[in-house]
Amino acid sequence: MISEFETKLLGIMMIIIMLGMGASLTVKDFLIALRKPVGIGIGVVTTYLLTPIVGFTIAHLVLLPNASPEDSKWYAYAVSLILMACLPGGTTSNIFNYFSKGVLSLSLLMTIVSTLLAVIMVPLTLGLFSSGIDGDWQIPPENVAQVLFVLLVPTAIGMVLRKVNPNLGATLELLGGLLGVVVILFLVVSWVPRNWPLLLTTPWPVYFGAIGLGVFGFAVGYVFARLVRQDPRRSRTIALETGIQNGPLGVLIVTLTFSGEQQQQVLLIPVLYSLFIVITASIATVFFRRMTTREALARDRMKTGALVGN
Amino acid sequence: MKQETAFDTTQRPWVATYAQAGIVAELPAPSHASLAELVHERCTHFAAEQTAKRLKHPAFSCVMPNGMNGRLSFAQVNAMSDAFAGYLRQTLKLQRGDRVAVQMPNCLAYPVVAFGVLKAGCVLVNTNPLYTESEMVHQFNDAGARVLVVLDMFADKLPGVLKRTRIEHVVVAQVSEFFPAVPNAVIRGVQKVWSKVLPPVTVPHVRLAQALAQGRTTLAATPAKTYWQALTHTDLAALQYTGGTTGVSKGAMLSNGNLLNNVNQMLAMGATHMEAGRECVLTALPLYHIFAFTANLLGFLVIGAHNVLVPSPRPVQNLQRAVENFPITWMTGVNTLFNGLLNEEWFTAYPPKTLKASIAGGTALHSAVAQRWAEVTRTPIAEGYGLTETSPVVSFNPLRGTPRLGSIGIPAPGTELRLMGDDRLPVAPGEPGEIYVRGPQVMQGYWNNELETAGVLSDGWLATGDVAVMEPDGFLRIVDRKKDLVLVSGFNVYPNEVEDTIAQLETVLEVAVIGVADDKTGEAVRAYVVPHPELGSQLTPEQVLAHCRQQLTAYKVPRLVVMRDELPKSPIGKVLRKDLRKALAEEMGRG
Repeated sequence: MISEFETKLLGIMMIIIMLGMGASLTVKDFLIALRKPVGIGIGVVTTYLLTPIVGFTIAHLVLLPNASPEDSKWYAYAVSLILMACLPGGTTSNIFNYFSKGVLSLSLLMTIVSTLLAVIMVPLTLGLFSSGIDGDWQIPPENVAQVLFVLLVPTAIGMVLRKVNPNLGATLELLGGLLGVVVILFLVVSWVPRNWPLLLTTPWPVYFGAIGLGVFGFAVGYVFARLVRQDPRRSRTIALETGIQNGPLGVLIVTLTFSGEQQQQVLLIPVLYSLFIVITASIATVFFRRMTTREALARDRMKTGALVGN
Repeated sequence: MKQETAFDTTQRPWVATYAQAGIVAELPAPSHASLAELVHERCTHFAAEQTAKRLKHPAFSCVMPNGMNGRLSFAQVNAMSDAFAGYLRQTLKLQRGDRVAVQMPNCLAYPVVAFGVLKAGCVLVNTNPLYTESEMVHQFNDAGARVLVVLDMFADKLPGVLKRTRIEHVVVAQVSEFFPAVPNAVIRGVQKVWSKVLPPVTVPHVRLAQALAQGRTTLAATPAKTYWQALTHTDLAALQYTGGTTGVSKGAMLSNGNLLNNVNQMLAMGATHMEAGRECVLTALPLYHIFAFTANLLGFLVIGAHNVLVPSPRPVQNLQRAVENFPITWMTGVNTLFNGLLNEEWFTAYPPKTLKASIAGGTALHSAVAQRWAEVTRTPIAEGYGLTETSPVVSFNPLRGTPRLGSIGIPAPGTELRLMGDDRLPVAPGEPGEIYVRGPQVMQGYWNNELETAGVLSDGWLATGDVAVMEPDGFLRIVDRKKDLVLVSGFNVYPNEVEDTIAQLETVLEVAVIGVADDKTGEAVRAYVVPHPELGSQLTPEQVLAHCRQQLTAYKVPRLVVMRDELPKSPIGKVLRKDLRKALAEEMGRG
């Protein structure tokens, strides 16, 4: 399903993406982020509680009921959906937030927080939410921790580069942002045609899970943000940040953990998720962008009316 | 009426302050005969320091918003500007005194080109890159410019402009000129494909790199020195265009002597906080504006500083990488820039530790901003005062000692200053009067415009159009531009005072105050307020008014408070009251 070469390529791309992510941050950014408990709290709750719950719920409602020892691929789908749900948000969410006229600083803050905590939080949540699923299909949390830890190295290098050689840092930052999209395009171009028959025979609950994780993520994120009294624009930012997971990272973890037939089955949802999130997030972006513009116009109208004399 | 403190503004009560503040009272005579000689001598000197490893920084760095940067050493700037001078005089056959228009934002090409023009013995015509076609046509024709050096990003207006002017040659530069190859390619790629800000250059032109290559070949036969060694203080160095409020833009003739003297005056102001070869100045204001041109480009070159150029300070976020990656020790700015930085979290949480001092000019520095700046950065910020016509420094606050908020300080050494009434006689002590200035920095006049010149210059005295009061020790306080005065039922209201009061509100980001015609009171005060994006989301006009009623006499309180998302600003970030008045007049006309 994904060749040895492709796995290596994906690994290299992931390293560049993380280098670029590091190059977009400084220690000061982290320290400033630490001064904003509300943003951090929201980031932690949405990334490591709400999305995992969304994934867990979909897995238990539509995927696992089909599973049996004879039809074990459903375990694969469930595990990989929960894995995707437990991952941090990637740089892709920042790009979508940029285009949807969201609150970019909030988006960055949430990405920073979730990425920094990923080494600890992903293995924890993954272990918790996938417990009870057939052991053969479990993704060993220490594997995930290892991958995430390895990826922290390029992130750290990126952060140093930004200071020591800003020219290289900025180039990597740009390259990393582009590669996030390239990886997905790469999947579309190389993977989809080869697996066309598979896509046609894939049962609907799998599609439901792959698409639903993003869409329900947006919805849950938005409702939660409104509940904790964030204004509509910040809430939309949080919605996108909640629904968009680091897809390429999920694909990488799966390819490093499984092989052969098993890999193919576990990989289906991460790949489908990565494909569909581009579509759903684009739709959400267009929609959100319009709402932001409309609100700005309404504010302007209100202001021109608010003339007061003395 | 009995005066308690008898002093005479025609005396010089401020002289005593010089010694206390560590400022030389007698302005030293410029040690160079021309700006070209100054550039050549200073670059040669610091290039030698660099070779001897006593100086480690480059002369100029240019930092893009994403942190990409390029740099030029003192030796490079010197050699390249020589080459450009050779190109102008030999390749293009320009004569001494010919005008060269330079239309570029801050970038590494700017010092090379500007110094090249000066070394060629030609006259630099600084031009705002954001000018409209008609503004460009007016300025180029008025100055009689023969050559235009322009950034490719602004080349789209050239076809319409060139055929209506006498410009014979166009040299095109890029914002990432002299950057290393990879960042240069990335920046060009992004400009072209992503932000689509690179229009095709459709007029005949030469790239700056080609021009320099051509010019270099001429230097063996005729060294650049040939062009500038005969220049003297009276030779014209720059035509600096200034709009004024009359609308028609006029070229202030600034001679080599004007600028050399003003550089010395500006350095006298900063001397206590400057060390040759050890400074790093953040240049966020455009160099085509006289403030940054004299202070940042020339002044900091004299002391061998590392000059960090930022192409565009808007949004203020663009400055982040420059502040993070370079050990900034000095800053120049205007009220809006300092205010903008104080509203950036990355700046207030970690203000640059290396910063020593800042100068504010261009427009009144609001006391709330000055106070907050001093608190956040723990460094002095000194407000200065000047005009294009005075190259620009007229007065400044000493950096040493307790800052006097809201004051523009004392006249620069070598400057004579008087406050005059409408009767053209000195006003009584403590009374507001129009500032008249005489000194080595006062321009020679307006280019080809005797009428306008006669209107402001007589017997060496320049009428500034600014109204100020002088304190007994000679410190000046601007009350306002004469023409911005609002006359409410016969009372003078100075917009500055009202703006300063409103700016005290934490919920206010920016404010501008103008006068509008009023049936009952003749004129009425109107305030335009931009709420702070975070703190001010709930701000209402009533709150602003309540604050004003508390702080101001009734007739000074705005009749109307208008909430806005932004205010019209000049290229250096001055809030343009005249644009607000114009927009209002158009509205009234329509309504």
